[in-house]
This record gives sequence, C-alpha cells and structure tokens, in this order.
Amino acid sequence: MAKENKKKHRRSVSYAKWAYIFITPFFISYILFTLIPQFLTIYNSFFENYRNGLEQIGPNFVGLGNYIQLLTPDKNGTIDFLRYLGNSLSMWIVGAIPQFLVALLLAVLFTSSRLNLKGQGLAKTIIYMPNLIMASAFSMLVFSLFSNVGPINKLLVSSGILEKSFEFFAYKIPVRTIIAFMNFIMWFGNTTIVLMAGIMGIDQSLFESANLDGANSIHVFFDITLPLLMPILSYALITSMIGGIQMFDIPQVISNGKGTPNMTSTTVIMMLNNYLGISKNYGMSGALSVMLFVITGILGMFVYRSLAKQYKD
Amino acid sequence: MKKLLSILLALLMVLSLAACGQKEEPAPVEEGEGKVFHIYAWNEEFKGFFEKYYTVPEGIEVVWTIVPNEGTQYQDALDLALMNQDSASADDKVDMFLAEADYILKYTNSPYTQDVKALGVTDFSNTYPYTVEAASDASGVVKGVSFQCCPAGMIYRRSIALDVLGTDDPAEVQAAVADWDKYREVAAKAAEKGYIMTASYAEDYRVFSNNTSSPWVDANNNLQIDGAIQAWMDQAEDFVAKGYTLTSGVWDAETTEQAAKDGKAFCFFGPAWYYNFCMGPAFGADAEAAGTDSIGDWGLVDGPQAFFWGGTWLLAATGSDNPTMVADVMNAFINDEELCTNLIKNEAQFTNNQAVNNKFAADPEFGNRYLGGQNDTAVFAAGAKNIKFQNQTIYDQGCNEGLQNAFVEYLKGTVTKEEAMNNFYKALKEKYPAINVPEA
Amino acid sequence: MKNSNKKARISLIISRILAYGFVFLLCFLCLFCFILLILMASKSNSQMQGAFNFRWGGHFMENLKNAWNDFSINIPVGMVNSFIVAMSSALITTYFSALTAYGVHVYNFRLKNVIFTFIMAIMMIPSQVSAVGFIQLAYKFGLTNKLWLLIVPSIAAPVVFFYMKQYLESVLPLEMVEAARIDGSNEFRIFNEIVLPIMKPAVAVQMIFSFVSSWNNYFMPALLLTKEKYKTVPIMIANLRSADYSKFDQGKVFMFILLAILPVMIVYTILSKSIIKGVTSGSVKG
Repeated sequence: MAKENKKKHRRSVSYAKWAYIFITPFFISYILFTLIPQFLTIYNSFFENYRNGLEQIGPNFVGLGNYIQLLTPDKNGTIDFLRYLGNSLSMWIVGAIPQFLVALLLAVLFTSSRLNLKGQGLAKTIIYMPNLIMASAFSMLVFSLFSNVGPINKLLVSSGILEKSFEFFAYKIPVRTIIAFMNFIMWFGNTTIVLMAGIMGIDQSLFESANLDGANSIHVFFDITLPLLMPILSYALITSMIGGIQMFDIPQVISNGKGTPNMTSTTVIMMLNNYLGISKNYGMSGALSVMLFVITGILGMFVYRSLAKQYKD
Repeated sequence: MKKLLSILLALLMVLSLAACGQKEEPAPVEEGEGKVFHIYAWNEEFKGFFEKYYTVPEGIEVVWTIVPNEGTQYQDALDLALMNQDSASADDKVDMFLAEADYILKYTNSPYTQDVKALGVTDFSNTYPYTVEAASDASGVVKGVSFQCCPAGMIYRRSIALDVLGTDDPAEVQAAVADWDKYREVAAKAAEKGYIMTASYAEDYRVFSNNTSSPWVDANNNLQIDGAIQAWMDQAEDFVAKGYTLTSGVWDAETTEQAAKDGKAFCFFGPAWYYNFCMGPAFGADAEAAGTDSIGDWGLVDGPQAFFWGGTWLLAATGSDNPTMVADVMNAFINDEELCTNLIKNEAQFTNNQAVNNKFAADPEFGNRYLGGQNDTAVFAAGAKNIKFQNQTIYDQGCNEGLQNAFVEYLKGTVTKEEAMNNFYKALKEKYPAINVPEA
Repeated sequence: MKNSNKKARISLIISRILAYGFVFLLCFLCLFCFILLILMASKSNSQMQGAFNFRWGGHFMENLKNAWNDFSINIPVGMVNSFIVAMSSALITTYFSALTAYGVHVYNFRLKNVIFTFIMAIMMIPSQVSAVGFIQLAYKFGLTNKLWLLIVPSIAAPVVFFYMKQYLESVLPLEMVEAARIDGSNEFRIFNEIVLPIMKPAVAVQMIFSFVSSWNNYFMPALLLTKEKYKTVPIMIANLRSADYSKFDQGKVFMFILLAILPVMIVYTILSKSIIKGVTSGSVKG
C-alpha cells in the first residue's frame, strides 16, 4: 500500500488544490458555527456573566472561579456535578446492559446460517423504528402511560394486583428503570444492526472450519465471534456511553425538568439547561460545558484508538 | 444523481431567494405613527378578545408574537426583543406586551417599559388598586394596566358541604372557613366522613403566598422564608400526615379527577378562569349529556384569606412607534363600558372595571352554571378590593415553584425535610446566581 | 446416525421456536407503544378519565380535526417548517460530507493526515459545548428566527463525514477516478457524475438519518425560534407540558404526539430496506 502511494504521489500532487477546494466548505462551516462558538464557550467559563432580571451582570473575569464553584462540595460533602454525572451514567448502564446483551443475541441469531431465520427484514425494520421517534414525544407517551391515573395503574388496580395507584415517578428505582428502559427500547435495534454488520464482516471460513471441527454454537460465539467483534463492540459501547453522558430529553420530560425524586434523575445536561435558563448564566454553563468536553474527550480518545486500530487493519 | 444535484441547486436558490426576500420587506413609512402594531403575548386569550372587541384604527396592521410561557421561553423571547428594541426596524419594534403577576416586576422596574400616564392613560378610578400597584415601578410610575382581574376564592362542593357542615349556603360555609383555624376544623370533620379537604397539597399555596409580610429576597439578596410560607409548610405537612389532602400537584390529572362526579375533595382554590376553563373538563363539561358530570354541585366563597391568582397586564414598551394606539388599547380595556360588558357577558371574565363588575354583581339573573347559578361576580366584586400586591420580587416564580417542587418530596416521604430544603436552595442558586441561599 | 440426525433436527426446531419467540417478543415491545398511541389518539377526553381499556375510542377523526385546527399549536405550520429545515439539512449535510470525504480520501495532500485526525478527534465533542457560544453569537447578531441558521451549520458534520469516508474506502476503486481523469473529466464532474452515484446507498442512509435527527431536534431550535410562524414540531410538542387550559383535551395531546412522529414513520417505512442495508454495510468497515 505504502509503495503504491509513493508511486502515485507525483501524479496526485497536481490535484492537491482540488482537495482543498472540496474540503473548504466543511471547514468554513465548522469554524464559523462550531469552532468559534466552542472557543467562546471556553472563554465564557472564566467570567462571571449572567442576567439578574433584565440587568446584565458582568462579564467580570473570575479566573477559575466558576470551576471552583462547580467542584466545591456542599455541606454533606457531595459535589452536585459529579452526582449528576453519576446519575447519567447509572441510568445509562442500566439500559446499556440489556441493550448490548439483547443486541448481541439478536445479531448472532440473525446471522446464524444454521437457524436461517425468516422475516428478518421485517423484524429489523421494526426493532430499528423506536430509534427514530422524537425522544420528547416518546417520553410524553411513557409518562402518560405510567402516571398515577394512567392506563397501567388503572389496569393494575382494576385487576386487583394493587389496591391503589402506585406512584411510579416518586421513587428512584422505578424512575431510573423507566428512563433506562426507554433508552434500551430506543437503542437496542441500532446496536443490533451495527453488531450484525460486524459479525458479517468476520471471515466466513472461520465459522465453516469451526463447524467442521464440530464446535457447538456457544463455543463458536465465545472463541470466534466475540473476540473478533471486540473492536466494534468497544466502539459501540463507548459511543453509547458518551450518548449516556449527554442524556437530556427523556429525564427532562419524564420529571418535568425537576430531576425527581431527590435529584436522582437530574443529569448533567439538565444542570446545564438550568444555568442557561432564566439567568443566561454563560459563565457557569461555559465551565460545565468545558468539564463535559474534557470527560467526553477522554472517552473519545478510546473510541479514536479503537477506530484507528480498525483503520490500520 | 443529477436529480439530486438539481434538487440541491434548486433548494439553494430558494434559500437565497428567501434570504433576499427577508431583506426586501417594505420599508416602514416614517410618518407619525407606525403602520405595524406589534404585541407580544404567551397565549391567544387576549388576542381573541382584542380581535373581537377592539376596533383597530384604519391602516394599522396588528402583528402578534406568541411564545408559550413554558419554562422561560416567553420571557427569553421578550427580553431579546426589548433589548434589541433600539436597533429593530420600526415595524419590528415591540409596542405593547403582556405580562403576568409572577414576573411583571422584572419589566416594570426596567427602562424597557414607559409611563402610561404620559401616553394618555389617566383614568384609573374604576380599576382595582392592586392591579395598578402591580403595574407600577418602585417609585410609583404606572407602566401599564391589567385588562382582567383575577380575585380568587374557595370553590367548595355543595353536596360534600351539606354532608359535612349540614349546609351548602355560601354565607354559612364562609362562616365555617373564615380563618385558617376554622378551616382546619372543617378539614378534620370532612376526613371523619371519608372526604379529603383539598385534592392537592399545593391547592391553598397561593392563599398563603399572597399574604406574606416580607418578600422572598431581602434588600441584601438573602433568601428569607416568610411566616406565611412557613405556615403553609406546616399545614401541608399536617394535612398530608392526617390524610386531609393528596400529594399530587395542582395540575396533575389525579387532582383534577377529584373534581369529577365521584370526587371526594371538599374544596379547590382559584379565580374564575380556574373553574371556567381548567376545571370545566374535570367537572365533566363534555360528559354532561351522559350525566357523569359534577356541574352545578359547586359554590364559591372568599375562603380564609383574600388572594388573587393570575391576571394579565398590558405593558407599554419603551421605543414604541405607536404610543397613541398603546394608550387607546389600554383605555379601552379598562374604561370602555361596552367592551368590559362584553368580556363579562360573553367571555366569563372578571374585568378591571369596578362599575361594570358591580352592575353584574347586583344582577340577580346573572350566574354561573358550574356554580349552580350562583353569582360569582358578586363574590369577587366584594373580595377584589381587599387584594394586596406587596412583597413581590423578580424571583417569585422560581421561589414559589421551587419550594413546592422540593417540599412535596418531603411530603411524599422520599426525602427528609432538610434534604428537601437543600434541594430547594440548590435549584434556586442554579436558576438565580444573584440570590444568597443558606449553605446547602 | 439416523437418531443423532433426528436429535439435531429437534434441537434445531426448538432453537428456531425460541429464536422466533424472542424476536417476536421484542418486535411486539417496539410496536406496543405505537399501537397504544394510536389507540389513545382515538379516545375522547372523558373516555380517558374512566378505567382504561383496549377498545377503539372512535374519536380519531374528531381529535385529528381538533389538533389540526388548534389555534395555539399550529401543527401544520410546524410541519412545514420542520420539513424545510430537515430536508435542506439532509441534502446539504450529505452532499458536503461526501464531498469532504472524497477530498480527503482520493487526493494526496500535505495536510491529509492532519485533517483526517482532526475530524476524527472532533467527532466526539458534545454539541452542547458549542451550543452556549452559538446561542450567544446568534443573539448578538440578531439571527434568531432564521431557519437557515439551523440548516447551514449542517454542512460540517464530522460523523457523516466519517461514515462517507468508510464507505468510499470500501467501494471506490481509485482506478476509476484515474480512468475518468484520462477521459478528460474535471474533478467536480468526476465527483458529481461518477462518485456520487456510487455512493447512493450511503447518501440515502445519511439523508434519512440527518432528516430524522433534524426533525427531532429540540435544544437549539427552542432557543433560536421564538416566532410562531417559524416554530418546528418538537418545540410545539414540548409546549404540551405547559399547564395551559387549551391543552386539557388528552385526546388532542395524543394526536399531537402522533402527528409529530408520523412523517418520520412514513418516510422510514418507505425507505426502511435501504436504510437497514445501509446501516449494515457502512456502520463499520467490513
């Protein structure tokens, strides 16, 4: 490959200007609409800058003041930013475990030549569908279903399972489970298809020779499929985790922006949303964004590495 | 692929045309007053009344910008427009905007609103004093008027009152709930008979918060909890513990369900719009034919303390290019008898014109079908004079909502009282960096 | 021998039954919400107050009429706006991402690796990081209530770029480009007439994805669009939570939700085959 490139090199040089022409719109747009705003966000994070009523306070330079405020523990020793991050992550993980297990199983079932399942096209169409729904609309729907006077409670009561309505949204475990479950429903189809692509990309002769050796499907899965699927699986996992950190729409609508009960469904982006709300606190929201940027940046590096590895192979 | 390209090109052309089109809007005619009257509002209510009952002067186009109240959307949009008022083209300038009691102070105490007396709104003899107080800045300059007045009362269920108190007569019911101690006694009696006093822990919140003796935030920006607010917290705690009320919010379906045919709640608290428009569906307005409604089973009294809820103020924006029309609209909605009569008769409003209200209050034929024909205007006309608009701050909306949201978690038993208060302080600090809250 | 064959067949049948059952269960779970939504949209407000049942309410058309003609939530206007934004974003994001990917893939130039690494690196930056600054700038330059401001930034979409690059790598033989050059085509024509058609499946997939994400986008539009005539559907849906008395008709609320997701569902049902194929072929390097 490298040799070939060298040979071509001289000829391609005359075309280099085209490369720059082709990528220019992308970069102009990126710089104008993403990069400059990003720098502005970072710049903001060092200033006190908010609105009190209609009165603009600042911008006054405060150095790391906003970061310090963000990371100062309260009198009980908890740092809210980290607590909300923990909320996001634990809601993510409760959804991600079934998401990935089910997706793996489905991907294996769909690609199994032994089972040779029919109607796959339809099934894939259906399981992918929830990924396309407006998250806020979906949340509205689920909220109405589980509310105290919603159909689920009415069914439970009228069938005699419960004596009176159970308040799903007042307790930590049901709320988090519902949010996690919604994430699961919305994303398992997507993961299934990504993992299927990965499995189909594995050299089929490996499976054939394993079959000839008489290996059973469980062995084939753990000895061949899983190891070879690892790069894609880890890529999917980390991108899903980054998505989890950015969780917003579902808990926002489910808890009506309150993060109830006891702030256990408050996510980091909901905190950001509060800062950006009535007081337009560009300082604190800037600092919060930068912290998010650092955290996702670290996670992103893992993604990048797994991608780069794949890219090299 | 050529198709795709041509679509793309066509689209770009359309976009650029659209962009040009925006620039080429007709230039404003700079003769006297502007040709466009621009109003900001958060819903269609006032727009409906305006279009029906106000005659727009010849040659003027009325443009509405309607942004829902949800979250802070309306205020965000309005703030943005007001702050850019100077650079906006004449037709884009805000002439008049609507505001609610919860945040009116933010605008009256700013340079973005102007003195309406200077514009020609001078006759306030018929308006209720609190509506003028609310529209005035700290030094007493009036910046707008209220077109509707929202005195509120206690809406009790006649059948339950008959069972609990042995009477459903408004005067006797009022005597039974004349102050909070008596009110609590009634709650205990109602509970004995298997009823609940209110359907929401926060149903009576506004009665307390309207009667505070100190503002939420003092002159040094320190948060303070008024005695009235503390009294509400104590009562809510007591009521929930004893099963006199529910832990659902005022707007939750669980609460409105209690206003339906089989509801168990003794009373609700609210102004005319609350029962006419919000509880109407709960009473069963659409199920009336089937007989599954509670219409007519309700009565209205002042309740333990006078209070108001809601109301819509019209404020005059600084920099308006239609000052004459601003004044004319305001005068029409407070002083035009025919207009005010229409608002009461056709729209079930309680107007900000005492003379017109009193006329209906004295009319024995006038009544509300939800209230079994009781003349609600008479109840409100008497109560409205006692309403005070005091101890307001620009943070009230956040404080009132924040406290209820945090405190109900304690009432439900999911957090301790201390945790509930800490959550309240933290949420407040996130929303309003300027307030000093106790260390949470 | 026969016996073990039989056993294998039985075990195959059992595994098939289990597999079908499992897949069916998941499909049911996914469809259940939609069925319920349609069912709820057919009920009148008072039907919903009583005990829940799975019967058809019979007020579907009435709710549709009420929702469509509701004067505070102008859903037809919202759908037109959403469509303009979503369609334009989908077109330009796929075209320019493909163009950029092609530029990086085919040509050798000094910054090639730097640029590729850079785009890979920025792919993971959460959009919220730039949101704060973006909003501030938009307000400062008076660019609120401009639909194009929601469209033009989609020219730069690192994730779409990455997908296109992956796709090009697996399908585009460089010889083809060389051959076209020998024929005397200029570079733009090569891209538009030879490369783009080859990329059709990838373009189709990314178009629907960007269409959907733009259609569902709430965070930015809610902060930028304040005037009624420019509002998009998600903003209107979010407003359903406000305690405004005109929204107390639950049947209408469910109808709004249904209307909000319907266009995407229709587009998806029509294109689902190529979408699934596209996700499969392009999501990872085969």
